[in-house]
Amino acid sequence: MAGVRVGKRMIGAQAPVTIGWENIPKVEGGPVKRFIFTWFQPTMLFALIAFWYYAPNSIAKASTALWIGIGFKSLLLGLEWVNPRFRSWQLTWKEAATDLFYVGLGYTLLRIVSHYIGGDVMVKGIQHYFQADKFAWFTGLPLLLQAFLIAFIFDFGQYWMHRGMHNWYPLWLPHSVHHYITQLNINKGAVGNPVELFLIGLGIGGFFDFLPRAALISGAVGLTIGTYQHINVRFNSPKWWRFLFNTTEHHSLHHSQDFEGSRSNFAGSFIFIDRMFGTCVDGEAELLGMEGGRRMSIREQMTYPFTEAWKALKGRTRPVMAPAEEENIA
Amino acid sequence: MNLRFIDWIWHVRGSLPLVHGQSSNDAFDRLDPLFRQTGTSHQLTNDTLTFAKKDQAAQDKMSVFDGGVLRIEKGAAGSVLRYDLISRALLFCFLAPFLFLVIAQFTTVIAKYDKPPHEAAKKHKPPAAMNPIDKALGAPAPDTSKKGDDDGGGKKGKKISATPAYFFAGIFTALYLVGRILEDRLIYFLFRKTLVGEPDAHWFLAMSKQS
Repeated sequence: MAGVRVGKRMIGAQAPVTIGWENIPKVEGGPVKRFIFTWFQPTMLFALIAFWYYAPNSIAKASTALWIGIGFKSLLLGLEWVNPRFRSWQLTWKEAATDLFYVGLGYTLLRIVSHYIGGDVMVKGIQHYFQADKFAWFTGLPLLLQAFLIAFIFDFGQYWMHRGMHNWYPLWLPHSVHHYITQLNINKGAVGNPVELFLIGLGIGGFFDFLPRAALISGAVGLTIGTYQHINVRFNSPKWWRFLFNTTEHHSLHHSQDFEGSRSNFAGSFIFIDRMFGTCVDGEAELLGMEGGRRMSIREQMTYPFTEAWKALKGRTRPVMAPAEEENIA
Repeated sequence: MNLRFIDWIWHVRGSLPLVHGQSSNDAFDRLDPLFRQTGTSHQLTNDTLTFAKKDQAAQDKMSVFDGGVLRIEKGAAGSVLRYDLISRALLFCFLAPFLFLVIAQFTTVIAKYDKPPHEAAKKHKPPAAMNPIDKALGAPAPDTSKKGDDDGGGKKGKKISATPAYFFAGIFTALYLVGRILEDRLIYFLFRKTLVGEPDAHWFLAMSKQS
């Protein structure tokens, strides 16, 4: 496989990928369908921002956001059936059950763990140590700026955590499990070893005091941009959208079976962070996963980082034997 | 303990008649591609096919099953394919509600010890001033009441709750029921389509005939 040169890197030398927006297929069908799948993403983003900006205080609550999130994801699941990107990523009952199991863990056990030792607790500890208070001036900023900064600060931290996971073996081990997924669907972002899911959820947002409404707008931004990372829907995303935001095209390349392809597009929502640091590659891939697309069972997903770490440790501590001794053992 | 009473949870059994005059060899030849998938091993002895799957691909049409036996039995009315398939995914989905109920109980217990900071200990901050831009654009003023802090989207006053765990226990109960019926029907129609060559459009007709 020849691959395509992107900067100094050769992408797609190990597994098929498509590089360049001009080479990515467009939505097929009549004008109504093409219109819907071109403007759906921006419309939902601006509609939800406007909703949270103007919603009365009696409605602007976390519980409302939860139900909007459930409704929006259900709608996207419907779109996966209507206009799938790849037939080979179609959601099956088994895939849906696996994904929902991880979503469930995220809302229950992981939430408890984060409640006691998550990013906010760590930040509180640091503030207590330095006898510092939150940056209260943050609440005086315009709501939309607050919301953008909350999302950006989290995404910026996540970019470096994610990039670190691809560059440092102890962090790669828990993250590698997520890279064994072989297709992208709405809830695939939740699939991974719980250690990784905890790590990727760490943030420094606790340093800032912000208005609850800004947090809700920021959540809506994450929902209507970040969710498209893992989705099996073909969109004609507008040029400005794919320049600024992460898309399923970018993220499929990140999950491709091609090693160099997988070392690109680390940001969660804002792909311009990747553009800032030279790790963005515009393109897509259909063949995803590790080890040629081997699907991992939930049991292995839970144990893999630990068994691999144990193997690596044993390999390091194993006494070096002379070849003759090794032959005798064999 | 006789597992026959409970193994319907993870076993999918069924039968379908072969086309009149179809031999066992011809039937297994037609079914053969289904068992030539990644991670699938199979063995055919006489009129019995045994298979096992490991790390099966997500899009494998039989990915929900991890092993099983297909047997062709000859009777007076003709030959019949009987199958008994094992699914760890169905078993897992059946057990998942119990796992989430345990998590709910665990959450309830630790929530008792997770007391929010005493009201007096909370710092009384002056209500945040609204930015003039937001005022001009007509955004509602921030809610300064205590109630707003509990469910206002921020992290203030956030408590752990057992509700999500109960919710997912319910989700997995429904998911199991759907999966147990759906996968039973899907495999029946897959075998039927493979043996007879029936197009997908005949599914509903076949379903109504069966019932």
